[in-house]
Amino acid sequence: MTQKLVMALPKGRILAEVLPLLARAGIEPEPEFANEDSRQLRFATNHPGLDLIRVRNFDVATFVAFGAAQLGVAGNDVLMEFDYPEIYAPLDLEIGRCRLSVAARRDLAEEDSSRLSYVRVATKYPEITRRHFAQHGIQAEVIKLNGAMELAPVLGLSPRIVDLVQTGATLAANGLVEIERIAEVTSRLIVNRPALKTRPDEVGAWIDRLREVVHAR
Amino acid sequence: MSEQHPALLPVGLRDLLPPEAEAEAVVVARLMAVLASHGYERVKPPLIEYEETLLSGAGAAMAPETFRLMDPMSQRMIGVRADMTPQVARIAASRLKTAPRPLRLSYAGQVLRVRGGQLRPERQVGQVGAELIGSETVAADVEAVSVAAEALSEVGVPNLSVDLTMPTLVPAICRATGVAIEQVRDALDHKDAARVAALGGAAAAPLGALLAAAGPAKRTLATLAALELPPAAAAERQRLAEVVARLEKAAPGLRMTLDPVENRGFEYHTGLTFTFFTPGASGELGRGGRYVAGNGAPEPATGFTLYTDTILQAVPAPTRPRRLFLTPGTPPEEARRLRREGWVTIAALGRVDDAIAEARRLGCTHVFERGALKEV
Repeated sequence: MTQKLVMALPKGRILAEVLPLLARAGIEPEPEFANEDSRQLRFATNHPGLDLIRVRNFDVATFVAFGAAQLGVAGNDVLMEFDYPEIYAPLDLEIGRCRLSVAARRDLAEEDSSRLSYVRVATKYPEITRRHFAQHGIQAEVIKLNGAMELAPVLGLSPRIVDLVQTGATLAANGLVEIERIAEVTSRLIVNRPALKTRPDEVGAWIDRLREVVHAR
Repeated sequence: MSEQHPALLPVGLRDLLPPEAEAEAVVVARLMAVLASHGYERVKPPLIEYEETLLSGAGAAMAPETFRLMDPMSQRMIGVRADMTPQVARIAASRLKTAPRPLRLSYAGQVLRVRGGQLRPERQVGQVGAELIGSETVAADVEAVSVAAEALSEVGVPNLSVDLTMPTLVPAICRATGVAIEQVRDALDHKDAARVAALGGAAAAPLGALLAAAGPAKRTLATLAALELPPAAAAERQRLAEVVARLEKAAPGLRMTLDPVENRGFEYHTGLTFTFFTPGASGELGRGGRYVAGNGAPEPATGFTLYTDTILQAVPAPTRPRRLFLTPGTPPEEARRLRREGWVTIAALGRVDDAIAEARRLGCTHVFERGALKEV
């Protein structure tokens, strides 16, 4: 009995960059995949042994960590947040490039952060945020938001945010400045550890094929 | 505050009910029987020990996972075991110091951990294990893997595969290239090729090659053979190849993969280590490898621990035994004969009007009435 391999892809911005990569690796999803309003959640490909699912980017890591999907595409921001031991990230797909940064109201940017013992930060990344400030000896009170982080300083929820920054235009439009970069972010091909160990040929073949495609660019 | 439900257990703990509790006991017994048949003799260390003995040597790795309490009698700190291997190593180095080497010991028991993993919330887990103490040979490495594989196959784990690694390979390369291992460890653990390339410095190229080499044993060995390695690492590679060649004979049918950079959970290991997987279970079935036993007088040792909770997920569900309802007045010697024939008997404790209905209510498959067996 060979089970199908499932590859989890993130909805939204990254998906548009992933699909051309998959196409060059010879993976064509069924037509319904392109329909964003589709109620279908699992999609066949031109390979009978490989299906695709489309989930939120944080959920990609969860599906792969638990082995519900064997392969996936996730940014290293998501991987840093969860730090799942069961996820391997063998290949940098070099797409979805951005950075994870601390940003604050312009008037706070001048402040000497070495005097701080405590900050309040709004973010989608509570673990990374706590770890980052703890490394600087600062205790962070994290307010978990799921979007529109830039509103938090504007409306007085928290003076600082930790969020993904691509061009910085959204920050600037809301009177915020980038204070510190925590990490450079790109999307990685991720695989479930037991799947790689128990099905090394199939899973390894997809890693190799995508590696060729990425390195050929 | 609302009142707590009386059945609620602390996080990560659970009750095992019929038939799972029985199935677990059966699996433990069958695993232990295989170990015993290879000459591994059973030891039984206690549940709690003084903290400093429990967490010394190889036990130090479990310190963050260990529940501690103060012993009201000695006023000293005591730890509840989070892993039995250090206890067995302690026994070998103390009370069994003079027993002839190589020493083969086995054990089975429950351990308790402060935290469950992200993927496995269980805090109490069952272990079955064996330690082979006092031999540095390749033959000992091969025996540890093949005995564990035999035990797992014996309890019915399908499509067993073992992932072998040499945790000394990466440090040897780092030493030779002058790169601090801490710099790349986390990236290697996540097989994050991009970060290894970025952080690896002079070791980036050989480490990147090791990363990419992981896969089916034959192929990985061929890739490794073509690599330019520093002498210390080349010696480790040679030993790995020898183990694989011998295992092909000792454990035919066992699928082998090689992962030259795997390290997680092997921080205290000093040579060949291994992890068992099966496609049906989401975690490891067991792991083991070479380490140094004993504090004052170090001894080479290898061994393995099997995780009964994961194994139970991977093996076929047990078939329930045939249960026989004995109507009142069944002669005791007749009942004894039936039990000897393999029946599980459920005796009526009072008057029964409808034996068939009563048998069905109690989950029996058969009824014994007026000297005759009847199917329900």
